[in-house]
Amino acid sequence: MNALTQPIAAGQPLAKSQHDLHNARSLLDATLRFVRQQSKNTDDPFVISRFGDVHIRIEVAAALLERAEEFLNSHEDATEVSVAIAESHLASAEALSAVGSAEFELTGQRTVLPGSLQDPLRWKLHLIGNFRLNGIHPAKFA
Amino acid sequence: MTISAQPPRTVHVIHSDAEAIAVAHKLAARFAVEASVRDRERRLPVAELDEFSASGLWGITVPKAYGGAGVSYVTVAEVIKIISAADSSLGQIPQNHLGVLDILLQTASEEQKRYYFGKVLQGSRFGNAFSESKSKNAGAFETRIRFDKDTAQIDGEKFYCTGALFAHIVPAVAVNEQNQAFIAFIERDNPGLTVIDSWDGFGQRTTASGGVTLNAVKVPLNAVIPAHKAFDEPTADGPISQIIQAAVDTGIAVGALEETKRYARESRPWIDSGHDHGWQDPFSIAAIGDLEWRVHGTEAILKKAGQAIDAALLNPNEDTVAHASVVVAQAKVLSAEIALLASSKLFELAGTRSVLGKYNLDRHWRNARTHTLHDPARWKYHLIGNYLLNGVKPARHAWN
Repeated sequence: MNALTQPIAAGQPLAKSQHDLHNARSLLDATLRFVRQQSKNTDDPFVISRFGDVHIRIEVAAALLERAEEFLNSHEDATEVSVAIAESHLASAEALSAVGSAEFELTGQRTVLPGSLQDPLRWKLHLIGNFRLNGIHPAKFA
Repeated sequence: MTISAQPPRTVHVIHSDAEAIAVAHKLAARFAVEASVRDRERRLPVAELDEFSASGLWGITVPKAYGGAGVSYVTVAEVIKIISAADSSLGQIPQNHLGVLDILLQTASEEQKRYYFGKVLQGSRFGNAFSESKSKNAGAFETRIRFDKDTAQIDGEKFYCTGALFAHIVPAVAVNEQNQAFIAFIERDNPGLTVIDSWDGFGQRTTASGGVTLNAVKVPLNAVIPAHKAFDEPTADGPISQIIQAAVDTGIAVGALEETKRYARESRPWIDSGHDHGWQDPFSIAAIGDLEWRVHGTEAILKKAGQAIDAALLNPNEDTVAHASVVVAQAKVLSAEIALLASSKLFELAGTRSVLGKYNLDRHWRNARTHTLHDPARWKYHLIGNYLLNGVKPARHAWN
């Protein structure tokens, strides 16, 4: 299965982004709670900055999800909509992965996250690139 | 080189956000043509700046009540991004002018607002004589202002004075005996004011961000505003200064990505790829995809930052200003990251031939590296994290 053949739940092309973003936010909250319980750590400049970094990735994912929703609801052409959706998937997946590593790094615990072999993120990069670099329209992907 | 002492004769007045964006696109297309030559020869963009001023874009933040368009900061960031994608030196030159317009709005008297906003709508450019390279840190000033009965006298030495060389009026920051900061609006030909074209940084080469010396400069009292009030009370002035920085860097990223695609298209295929053309290389294609979503993510956060500033201007208080600072800091981090990444990936994807001097493609990286040093991104991660983890509001100054 690749990005071209992956079945897309009709009408819910952003479910994957929403799901990843939701999980990323929950994981960040859990990590914040854990660190706050060890109060001596909350003034460590490197721990503080680590949260800043992760928070940025989540905000980008949220902003690109919103952008993809706007594209879906507007009259943009189909390829632009598909590309915006793929970009949102990539951002949410990166946010989740970033929070996952921060969780492990700061708490020593690791929440099991789904692998991405079934979700061809890498081929989404390729499909976005192939459209922007070469003008090749994807047959169908999201 | 002659710098025009007078504003351009006819200056268009822009009336809406949409018009500002359209004018910026038109200008950017023209500025892009010789951007590389100007950089290579360090040819200061004197004619381009007069065209920039005449377009009305330097007056778009003048409030409607004073005859301007009072555009949103979403639009301001978009305009600066569009111009910077074409020529980031030209995008940077108005940054302090725009910052000063907001300080005027926040701290000037009614009479001063009418006078200076009017000047700006007629094409006057503000430069800046703010930063000092020899003071203890970026927020410390040794330049002094002494108030007399009718006049104020300013003495000091400034550096990183972007725009001063091209300005009709040079606003200078100076502190009184209580260490409170004031801004004096000094006419370009005022005795005692010397602008030195000493900027020889390897990037942003045509910003003329050199020095200014102030030697017993005298101005009337009505040419001075109590700038410290913009930070004593919560105002959006810090985020406004910062969003323009982030917009310049986002523009550099956009420009570098366009150039990357152009040259990656023409690259040779790698021997192991099994393809006939460089543009078929699956790894190059995916790398473009990666840059694309990161640029769009940065643009989306830049827009959120503009909206947060608009909200803080409408309803200024500690919370709205802190929120604006935090979102602008996100834009600042992302734009610095993507400007450096895109301008470096350019060479990776276009191959060795792209480093040849004749293409001058290194200007994108030189500009990104230089401009992103304005204030360090490493403290923005900290600012954002401290607000999230500990609820600590960002310090209020021109760099947050």
